[in-house]
Amino acid sequence: MSAGPVLKLTEAETTLVAQLGARGAAAEAERLLGAGLPTRRVEAYHYTDLRQLLRSVPVLAEAGPATQGPLSIPGAVALSITNARVGPIPTLAQGLHGQKGQGGVLAQRDDVLVRLNSALAGEHLALEVKGAVTVPVVIDRRIEGAASHAAGAVKLFVADHASLTLIEVFSGSDAAHVGNHATAITLGKGANLTHITLNVMGPTATHFATNEYHLGAAAHLRTLVVQAGGALSRTQLFPTYEGEGATAAITGLNLVGDGQHVDLTMDALHAVPHTASKPLFKTIARGRSRAVVQGRLVVARNAQKTDAKLMAQGLMLSDEAEILTKPELEIYADDVVCGHGSTCGRLDEDHLFYLMSRGISKSVAETMLVRGFLAELIDPITDETVAALLHTLIDSWLER
Amino acid sequence: MTTTPMLEIRNLHARIEDREILKGVNLIVPKGEVHAIMGRNGSGKSTLSYVLAGREDYEVTEGEVLLDGVNILEMEPAERAVAGLFLAFQYPIEIPGVATMTFLKAALNAQRKGRGEAEISTPDFMRAVKTAGEKLNVDSDMLKRALNVGFSGGEKKRAEILQMALLAPKMCVLDETDSGLDIDALKVVSEGVNALRGPDRAMLVITHYQRLLDHIVPDVVHVFSDGRVVESGPKELALELEAKGYAGFDGEKAA
Repeated sequence: MSAGPVLKLTEAETTLVAQLGARGAAAEAERLLGAGLPTRRVEAYHYTDLRQLLRSVPVLAEAGPATQGPLSIPGAVALSITNARVGPIPTLAQGLHGQKGQGGVLAQRDDVLVRLNSALAGEHLALEVKGAVTVPVVIDRRIEGAASHAAGAVKLFVADHASLTLIEVFSGSDAAHVGNHATAITLGKGANLTHITLNVMGPTATHFATNEYHLGAAAHLRTLVVQAGGALSRTQLFPTYEGEGATAAITGLNLVGDGQHVDLTMDALHAVPHTASKPLFKTIARGRSRAVVQGRLVVARNAQKTDAKLMAQGLMLSDEAEILTKPELEIYADDVVCGHGSTCGRLDEDHLFYLMSRGISKSVAETMLVRGFLAELIDPITDETVAALLHTLIDSWLER
Repeated sequence: MTTTPMLEIRNLHARIEDREILKGVNLIVPKGEVHAIMGRNGSGKSTLSYVLAGREDYEVTEGEVLLDGVNILEMEPAERAVAGLFLAFQYPIEIPGVATMTFLKAALNAQRKGRGEAEISTPDFMRAVKTAGEKLNVDSDMLKRALNVGFSGGEKKRAEILQMALLAPKMCVLDETDSGLDIDALKVVSEGVNALRGPDRAMLVITHYQRLLDHIVPDVVHVFSDGRVVESGPKELALELEAKGYAGFDGEKAA
């Protein structure tokens, strides 16, 4: 046997190795011991150097009381995962089936957050949808009590031609939690899902989330990832277009304030011909803050007629804000329409002047323009109560 | 009989960066009158309109602008609008994501609030927009779109006049309102403007073509050259200008 670790572990790494060991994940513990958390030398973490940014990891979460989350949607089906434990499952609306399952939910992947979640998630909430479910389903994913490390998981299967709106709200007590969450979603033939995730963690929390999507033939997915909370956040989106005719509108919104580091990373695989996606990521940054938007589109050799356009737009409201955008196209097919674009800037002076020349004060005009910048993301959300919730969330961030 | 003019500009100088563009503008527009400013491109006409509306890029180095007796140069653009000034833009700005109706309501209520009036009720607002829109061929489809986004040149100008009708300003400044309009659109826009003429309102119509003034007939015409008014006279002056060209007036100024 070779002697000792090759690298001096950070406090966070030491804790994680111990936690993996305690959960019987010896192989993962060994791997982390050797490689450590990813640094800027790992391409996918180039702008989010976890070794630097994740200073410490609190104890693994113990079961906590199931409490009501901060946002409620009238008429929605309410489910919960508190401290990585699946809450009581009520009688669900017709077409919905839910139960508790064991272990993690994500497919194997060379990614530290995926590996940690899979090793540490003891149980998951498994949902199945058949037919059209018209009421939204809300999963409250909370970390309660003193600072803790929680690895929760959700698995959703949307059957052929079924449809659903799923909202996941990540929140918690005001402590330096580390949440590393997973959601794995499979869409059957012709299925239609709107998936909204809201990160409203406390100001000292770390929030990691990985959303894995498998899209069947002619399935349609709309996602909206809103990241507003946490000191350090990273949401990873891994959509795979597996059936012909699958389409997705993958969208995300980073609301980044003073002292926050927020990362939104998408790695999409168009695996079969005739699929389309239009990822659109927007960031509003203010104060001394850093936002990272990474988008990678991989088009497989046989995935002809792929139509994919990645767009990242940033709005900077302060001199100290930083928005780092990295689009990547990896195309192996030869008959595709793929592209990417990126814009970044301040509010347009001409726009401001026009509004003010009509009597609208500067601060109101700025708010109108910021809302205008976001309209493209919120307008497609057709459920009125959900849209109202999003407007409330955004407005409260703007007024903060 | 002396009454306070609606707009009085006294020896106005303004520059952008190091370049002086307005070089001592003097102008009086009494209540109830429509005055035209004619001048060639680059003479500073549009700068005058922006300086009146309070655009930040321009620095006023000297002079006064009195709106109904009140100096507005220290006011923010929004305050000037509340005080009753309206600029119809030569190139109305497209603002994606801001619905036209939302904008109109925000503007109307901001002005009412600024004057200490109550907010307009939604039904009253809808009625007011509908009434103003009918006269200008502005249909509800247009109002549902984002502000000026994808509007044709004519639609943009009609939308400007719609705003003017709705906000009922005391002093209207129309910057090249005829540019980009075909003859039919020009008629609609001119009729919209003429309908707003009244004893308690004044207008300053900036143009470099006489043709607009066939439709919006001014009481007084001012010739603008090299950053100041070089000649003022009755509406016939516009015709003279058309015949002689601006060069003749530059010469007179130089003499």
